[in-house]
Amino acid sequence: MTEQSIRPYLGRVCFVTIGATAAFDSLIRAVFEDKFVRALRSAGFSDMIIQYGANGKKLFDQLSREYEARPPVSPFCINGFHFNTKGLGAEMRAAKGKGHKAESRGIVISHAGSGSVLDALRVGVPVIVVPNPELLDDHQTQLAEALAKQDYVVHGKLDDMTGALREIDVLMWRLKDWPPVNSGVHRHAQGVEGIADEEVGYLDGSKE
Amino acid sequence: MIPTPYFLQACLTLFVITIIAATARAISILPPRPVRRKRARGTPTSMMMVLGSGGHTAEMLAIQRDLDPSKYTHRFWVIGEEDWMSRAKAVEFEEGLVEKVMKSQRERKEEEVSASKELGDGEAKFWYVGPDSYDIFLVPRARKIHQPLYTTPWTALLCLWACLKFLCHCKAAPCPKTTSGFTGPLPVYAFPDVILVNGPATATILVYATLILRFFNFRSAESQGGMRTIYIESWARVKTLSLSGKLLLRVVDRFVVQWPDLEGIGGRGEYHGVVVG
Repeated sequence: MTEQSIRPYLGRVCFVTIGATAAFDSLIRAVFEDKFVRALRSAGFSDMIIQYGANGKKLFDQLSREYEARPPVSPFCINGFHFNTKGLGAEMRAAKGKGHKAESRGIVISHAGSGSVLDALRVGVPVIVVPNPELLDDHQTQLAEALAKQDYVVHGKLDDMTGALREIDVLMWRLKDWPPVNSGVHRHAQGVEGIADEEVGYLDGSKE
Repeated sequence: MIPTPYFLQACLTLFVITIIAATARAISILPPRPVRRKRARGTPTSMMMVLGSGGHTAEMLAIQRDLDPSKYTHRFWVIGEEDWMSRAKAVEFEEGLVEKVMKSQRERKEEEVSASKELGDGEAKFWYVGPDSYDIFLVPRARKIHQPLYTTPWTALLCLWACLKFLCHCKAAPCPKTTSGFTGPLPVYAFPDVILVNGPATATILVYATLILRFFNFRSAESQGGMRTIYIESWARVKTLSLSGKLLLRVVDRFVVQWPDLEGIGGRGEYHGVVVG
């Protein structure tokens, strides 16, 4: 992340992340779709930043060329980078924008990897979670569904990204804050260190 | 030479006895284990943590963000050989601990940083931070991404061997001064007191390595009661356990899940809310 973070964005920012481990070409294709780009533009977005992963450069370049050949949706910039080993906090914060003005509040579109979703939740930026249907195990879908049910995120589907965008613009103002407030019978607020304390014999349980 | 029937009979009997004895032994080392003696602050206590990669590393570090180095006086980090990112993050974490302590020291206008005295609520407390208070063990990865399945047993064995080796070479946590009544000679090597693991294959193998050591009570691994294992299922697992979770459900001392649907799974899942928050 270099110039993009310094340059002030004209409007809202959409940050797309596919994670560091697995490829997710279908998500990159989905966000390049003409319909989706136009929907973003009309919702007041000026920039899309795509983290496309180690093997996504070829696809990103190809789609960028095709995008530029299309009738222009101006002003709308699409930039990309492969990954940032220092984490994606800077991009997430750029997407979050400053203040509570609707014009500056962007979104994150994330694969359903727990690390990326947690980062977005911690930064406090509205996030559309898109599970990768090509992964054999569907636990990513379960995570997206469970979080969407509790109004933390919007569960996006590859074939209906514009729908997810509409949904998040409605939900944006009532998305719940992260982390969940401890309440109810199960919350001893002891965390893992409390469990470790029990196991090794620090039984005093004193928290200073 | 044809073995006599008596010889065969003896062999068979011996075999059956071995099986029975091994099963009994296995049952005896599996949880629940006896509760440990109460431990006072200032007792050298070591904690081992496995940083798998990517998401696993991020979750483990989030779990540990409030780690109290005055309780867990020595940390062992287990990291994949080629996982530079996790290695950097472990070092960064330890440096963060130093910074935290230095900050609180500055606030209290104390001078010594490592193992120095801090007065809080009338209780003397010691901090154990800095390069002497942690070790990093590098292990060959049990299974690389996209590694063909049929070569996995071999790499898993290499990983198991590496785990056994470094478990036996954990330096005993140093204990320069103590006010809390810990006396007695310090051993050179000591197994870690508690081991925190989450999903990566390496972590699963490490837990099985501790079981092997305890099974044979190697260097009193079992009778000392150390190597308590805590497994934290990934926050990404909402309704079903991961493969590592399934493999470790019956053998770890504590099994922590992060979604209510998994509470009580296998009679073991504990739910304390989201611990990676």
